[in-house]
Amino acid sequence: MLDAPTHSENRGAMRSLERGSAMPSNTPSEAGEQAQVSFYLTEKRPGATLGSIDGLGLRPALFAGYRDLTKLRYDFPLVLLHNAPDESSVQSLSGLFDGAFAEMYGAADGERLRSYSLRMECEIRAQVAGGAGGSLTALWDEAARRLLASADDLLQDGLRRLRTSLKGDGEVIDCDGALPARLLGSAWRTVQRKKAQRFRDDINRLIAKLADILKADAARSATGHSAESLKASMGSAHGDAFDFAAMSRLLTKASSSSALHEGRRRRIERLLSVLRSQEFFPAFNGATNPNETAAAHSFVFESCTRALEAYRERLPEMIEVAKARVMAELEIGSEYNEAAHDPIFADFGATGLDPRYAVAFPDYLVCLNARDMLPAEASALLDILSAGLPVKILLQSDDIVERSPIGNSNFAVGLRSKQIVTSAIALGDVFVLQSTSANLFRLRDRIFRGWATSGPALFSIFSGAAGNAGGIPTYLIAAAALESRAFPTLVYDPSAGPDWASRFDLRDNPQADLDWPLHELPFEDEAHQRISETVAVTLVDFLACDRRYAQSLARVSWAQGNGRMVSVSECLTHEATGVPDKLPSVLMVDANNGLQRVLVDDRLIRAARRCVEMWRSLQELGGINNSHAARLLARERQSWQEQAQRSTEAAAASPAPAEQPSALPPASTVSAPEPAAPELERPSDEPYIETPRCTSCNECIQINDKMFGYNKEKQAFVLNAGAGTFRQLVEAAESCQVSIIHPGKPRDPNEAGLGELMKRAEPFL
Amino acid sequence: MSIAATECLLRLHDEHHELEDYQSGVPRWCTGCGDNAILAAVQRLCRDENLRPEKTVFVSGIGCSSRFPHYMKTYGFHGIHGRALPIAEGVKMARPDLHVFVNTGDGDCCSIGAAHWIHAIRYNMNMTVMLHDNQIYGLTKMQASPTSPKGLKSNTTPRGAYLDALQPLTVTLGVQNVSFVAQAVDWIPEVLYDILSAAFHHKGFSFVRIIQRCPEWLPKMFEPWLHDPQRILLLNHERGLQVSPGLAKVYKNQERHDPSNLNRAREIASVMDPIPVGILYRNPDVPCYEVLRRSDQLRSADFIKAGLEAEFDKFTVWPQEAQERVKPHA
Amino acid sequence: MNETSLLQPVRAAGSSALSRPDEKTVTTLTEHVVEVISDSGEGAQRCGQSLGGIAAKMGNGVWTVEIIPAEIRPPARSVAGASGNRIRLGARRVTNGGNETDLVVAFNEQVLLGRVRAHELKPGCIILLESMWREDSDPKIAASYKEVHGQLVAAGYRVYEIPMERECRTVVADARRGKNMFALGMLCNLYSLDLQLGRDQIALTFGKKDKSVVASNVKLLEAGHEWAERNLDFKFRIPAQRATEPQIVVNGNTALALGILASGMEVCAMYPITPATSASHYLSDVFEKVGGVVHQAEDEIAACAFAIGASYAGKCAVTITSGPGFSLKQEGIGLAVMGEIPLVVVNVQRGGPSTGQPTKAEQGDLLTAIFGSHGDAPKVVMAAGTIEDCFYSVIIARKIAETFNMVVVVLSDANLATSQQPFPRPQFSEAWLAPPVDQSAVPERAKPYDWDASTGLARRFIPGQPHGMHTLTGLAHDTLSHVAYDAESNEHAIHSRSLKLAALQKTLKTPPVFGDAAGDLLVIGWGSNKGTIEEAVEGLRAEGRKVSSLHLTFLQPMPPGLKEIMQRFKKVMTIESNWSDRPEDDLIDESNRRYSAVAMLLRSRYLVDVDCWSEVRGQPIKPNTIRRVILEKLGRP
Repeated sequence: MLDAPTHSENRGAMRSLERGSAMPSNTPSEAGEQAQVSFYLTEKRPGATLGSIDGLGLRPALFAGYRDLTKLRYDFPLVLLHNAPDESSVQSLSGLFDGAFAEMYGAADGERLRSYSLRMECEIRAQVAGGAGGSLTALWDEAARRLLASADDLLQDGLRRLRTSLKGDGEVIDCDGALPARLLGSAWRTVQRKKAQRFRDDINRLIAKLADILKADAARSATGHSAESLKASMGSAHGDAFDFAAMSRLLTKASSSSALHEGRRRRIERLLSVLRSQEFFPAFNGATNPNETAAAHSFVFESCTRALEAYRERLPEMIEVAKARVMAELEIGSEYNEAAHDPIFADFGATGLDPRYAVAFPDYLVCLNARDMLPAEASALLDILSAGLPVKILLQSDDIVERSPIGNSNFAVGLRSKQIVTSAIALGDVFVLQSTSANLFRLRDRIFRGWATSGPALFSIFSGAAGNAGGIPTYLIAAAALESRAFPTLVYDPSAGPDWASRFDLRDNPQADLDWPLHELPFEDEAHQRISETVAVTLVDFLACDRRYAQSLARVSWAQGNGRMVSVSECLTHEATGVPDKLPSVLMVDANNGLQRVLVDDRLIRAARRCVEMWRSLQELGGINNSHAARLLARERQSWQEQAQRSTEAAAASPAPAEQPSALPPASTVSAPEPAAPELERPSDEPYIETPRCTSCNECIQINDKMFGYNKEKQAFVLNAGAGTFRQLVEAAESCQVSIIHPGKPRDPNEAGLGELMKRAEPFL
Repeated sequence: MSIAATECLLRLHDEHHELEDYQSGVPRWCTGCGDNAILAAVQRLCRDENLRPEKTVFVSGIGCSSRFPHYMKTYGFHGIHGRALPIAEGVKMARPDLHVFVNTGDGDCCSIGAAHWIHAIRYNMNMTVMLHDNQIYGLTKMQASPTSPKGLKSNTTPRGAYLDALQPLTVTLGVQNVSFVAQAVDWIPEVLYDILSAAFHHKGFSFVRIIQRCPEWLPKMFEPWLHDPQRILLLNHERGLQVSPGLAKVYKNQERHDPSNLNRAREIASVMDPIPVGILYRNPDVPCYEVLRRSDQLRSADFIKAGLEAEFDKFTVWPQEAQERVKPHA
Repeated sequence: MNETSLLQPVRAAGSSALSRPDEKTVTTLTEHVVEVISDSGEGAQRCGQSLGGIAAKMGNGVWTVEIIPAEIRPPARSVAGASGNRIRLGARRVTNGGNETDLVVAFNEQVLLGRVRAHELKPGCIILLESMWREDSDPKIAASYKEVHGQLVAAGYRVYEIPMERECRTVVADARRGKNMFALGMLCNLYSLDLQLGRDQIALTFGKKDKSVVASNVKLLEAGHEWAERNLDFKFRIPAQRATEPQIVVNGNTALALGILASGMEVCAMYPITPATSASHYLSDVFEKVGGVVHQAEDEIAACAFAIGASYAGKCAVTITSGPGFSLKQEGIGLAVMGEIPLVVVNVQRGGPSTGQPTKAEQGDLLTAIFGSHGDAPKVVMAAGTIEDCFYSVIIARKIAETFNMVVVVLSDANLATSQQPFPRPQFSEAWLAPPVDQSAVPERAKPYDWDASTGLARRFIPGQPHGMHTLTGLAHDTLSHVAYDAESNEHAIHSRSLKLAALQKTLKTPPVFGDAAGDLLVIGWGSNKGTIEEAVEGLRAEGRKVSSLHLTFLQPMPPGLKEIMQRFKKVMTIESNWSDRPEDDLIDESNRRYSAVAMLLRSRYLVDVDCWSEVRGQPIKPNTIRRVILEKLGRP
């Protein structure tokens, strides 16, 4: 993005133009003004007042600071680290160097090291910009060779130390047409490697445990007790110490023949063959031979149609393997119950495969380029997305300024990709990420979250590598597309939450709450006074980079840049009716950072208008200036005001001061009484036991197991008070270790010795 | 994730167990013996956790309490005096997939098996250990045990025990790697259950001392505590034991104690009266020995062969003609 | 004092003027016993080991024995401090340590003295003695050196004084360390061994360390070789036939550990004790690589209980120990017998009773192994007779333990533990491995102790097996494993457990007789005396004596047919390394004589008058000793 650079040595204020430069310098005139208007409306350039911008190498004024990217520290180039986990596998060169330097922070010669580190980084960046590629190590060595050409021990030592603290190695890639595919591809591999490991470990475990079931059975079986296998199991040295025939006879006779029943054996053998022959992740068992890898499917495709076919034809196999894993788990736990489970597995996956099972399998990766995408592809793509298949699709666009179908005078910005993205989002359960290459590094965590989602994911990336931008580097084009809302960054992550607020995310766009992002543009005027102007970056600035639209732009002299010239953003604010009194212009710089004012024609303005419309609709989805919310708020505010109005009127009307209505309860309120004890209080003349406190000690049961019983918690209760005497109740109460038996009142008034019993019962009432 | 799915599928179909499914035979303990309360609580735990009887092992030593496994309808190992813990360790090391419980008495654990007790704490293997502490030898007819209070008259101490009692809680809390220590009393079944449940869910060596009445030899020993709830100190904490309102009405004497506070735990442990009841200490981060020793790794025949051949190579003298096959081991 | 004649060549060489290789006498031998001894830490051990390895590669028969000082770190130059190695080289396969030493390399005269006093040196034995002490700064040392040297020469030993350290210093800085490889070089030269093999050996032993270490040791080796070539006037040649198949060279304890690996057992519980521990050292290093666990328990009892627990719930486990530890395990062993839990107990015997002689060889634990624990506790007892046996015994023990659900005791001893002898590299077979733990459901209402009436065998139920739930108990129990105090159940159980021994016995074959099937004398032995006895017997048979020998691997149960064999000989005796009363003692007569373990067993079982001879000197019995004993027993022909 345009705010990336941290070095600002060549971002100084710009040399202003001198009067009497190449431009014809005639004072503002009627003719001139008319010419401008007609150009604005028709692209015609009557007279010589309106210069063509061809060959001036003009670029948007804000790019002035980015003449030589190799001198800047920014996100690129990237390093794709080997076998680093998830997002940490994608690093920016600067990031790595800072990390390496931090290792030695506080070293006595810290400052010198710092400068070495910067020189080295700059050198490598230059190489990469020059088209060099390959591993970081290779690039480092090459760069070191160049720097050390002027031999210097200090430098040599410094570089050596830096190198040792520079962790990890990997492919270095710049922001070019290949970036999206390579970045996404490596992310895909990183994620798949981890998945494969988990999958394999699990399959190997299942295979081993299933095989064990059969082996254990074999050991018990007749063959296990045969003389041959007995001999084999003893080893050669004492072969003649035993009479294995005799041993076999004894064991066979003594062993209870409870072999695995045939159904289970066959089932286990079938499971084994399925698991062993699965081709989703090449299964290898670390112990046997690491270099042996079984046949395996490929999951990277150039076309959705073919990916879809592949998925369709592999589905039955996939279901078989998923099913086998579940069944194996049951078998291993000897929990497979034919009556219960056979029917379940009979039509397992008949209604498609439960994503919970699918998630363990590999993801498909399809890399497409919008340029050569046929309608059939587009529909296959949408089929995949709407079917929720585990397919991650990269849709790369190099050129987003397409001629629109309705004639060459109109054009549409990024229409094709936008169609696909919006329909993908509309599906609701598809992970969607739209971004320009320039922004990919900052989105890497989001990218990996996209991989993590079990379902489909769509990555729509604008590379900016169409090559219509003259000398402007791809990175700047991509950045401009983002900055100018031509290709906004958006993420829709269904896994992030239940609602749009948590799923939809625009925050990676510059100044997302504005129509256009604003920038300060410092420069010098004729009087060499340093002044600064706030300018909005609009779609026009992006289009202005594109040579194909040169004819929509016309250079005007500063002299002519009179009161009629307004910025594009301002021009867009008021509808043009009749002859426009203000004309839109953009500021651009020439090859020597000279500031130029460039008149823009109506066609670009129309495009910009549509662009900002689309942006606003995105904003609303992202919760910015949400109209629904706004209205709701308005209504609430109004009703609140009305109510306030009424109450004040009422207060004025009533003679006696009315009780102030208050939502709060009066300050003096007694707190609620404690909740009653769980067990209900019994009338004390009925015998009862505080069952929850019973320690299951059997005392009462021993006394009379008709009278006392255990509940399903094995705790005692009065089973039938009538089943025994009051004496027994009292004795039970007395003998109860935790005294939780309450004998109550005697039922039979004539029971012998009641008086004495009543006394004894008292402590337990 | 597909594993989780499998479990859903299982839960759909695995048979649910009743208390009876864990009961085996009629306990031969004296009527009124605290072991009955512990047995009932454990059987409830097994039922509520729906433990598969064949995947559960109760290991014990010798003594009244060590009869425990016989009354469980699970696998059981009624071993020899004092050795329950090392046997249980062997079981767990060989079979980390099994639920291992240990029942041991104050003589079994704190006297003849004391060495194993100390080291079992250090190993911190994942098992639930119940110390049935009735402070007397019952099976051999009333001899003083290490936890018998000073002055207790018994057949071996007719003029009263000479020494102060050993405090199992402070000992346990003093050993490196201690990870779970709790105390229960047999006469508060609700708390006993809650503590055993917490112990079972703790991943590591869960040591539960259960103060237990012996109606045969020490019928009056705990009378005072039994009949005065104030002499029980209930330890409560959101990360420890939560006391039910019903219980709180009876046992008002409570302390809020954070089980991660080892020093406070040691102070509480050294209190004899009131009897502290609850979870004194819990540290889920102590590694388990069987995990450190990777006891659950797969051992395929190829795997063993590869390892063995590699070792043979180190010691092999190849015939001269095959000299080049000698490879120095770098 | 006619030492001059002996020392002439070396003295002369000292002035390096005349070296006379042309006058070297090269003697061809069928065998020779070599010793390399030093203070501990001077590397004599390694020197000896390497010599053994090289000779083995040459195709010589080899048997090496460690010479271990009694103390851990004896003071330097002490009589008791001899540390080193004893290597018996032979033209044919060597099965034991042999007789007294023929040639010894000593780094100082004191350790040498220790060996002399132990009567380990043959009369006239060649001694290569470090001579630096003669000029030692400490007059006492110099004096004692000269004195001892004088005595040795007087005693008729062929003493060669060799300035080893001085020579080494010309090659390396720290000569004291390097001396052992210099000595190795000399020995390679003296026994005409291929020096290249020496270099390979060094590469093998120091391979782990960096190149420079290997290089400097090779330099020392070559220096020693060179020096002997120039300065010594004699040389030996022991003809050898090149081995045709790969051989393993390890000591008995390493072989045991390898056996554990190969048996598929997964848990070994132990507690440190000499001499068993070195097996656990090695096992700890390698076991985890194949998924095993060596558990060092808090004590011997716990080790046994841990192994029992592991066996009960999974595959058969093993516990390794020596005498005292074996006693501590007895209660646990009783439990395993009672519960019929398979268990392998390895006892590497040492000198007893009590702490006895931890580093010395003895066969004193046989009766404990058979009759140990309490009550009727039948268990299987077998003894390893060779290094190779140590490997295969464990595999067999595991198989028997799991097949018969019994405790199997494997006896080794300090002699096998520390001796090395090449044996054919085993061909791994998956059948050796313990089968996976059986988790299949057992038939409903099946009984955990459903003893087979004729064999006493019952299928073991393992935790995890549905329907198999029961509580194993050390109490008397019935077929349901319920505690049973009634007479029938108790006898039924004891009866069944005893039957299993008979069942195993029926699967054993009568062991082969070494020599003729009949004759004047049958010598019966067991354990590590195998090779020595057979060597002596072979020698006497060559002289026409009608003597044969019989080696017993299984001691409980004993294989069938022994009585028939014994009856074919006029006299029968055992030769063992455990105590038996000496008939010549005044007090000893038939009514009170205590016989050696196996003799007693044979007498009681077969009612055959089996005599015995034994010694408990902590050293392996020598072939000559046995020869003498046999001759005495045979009497004049």
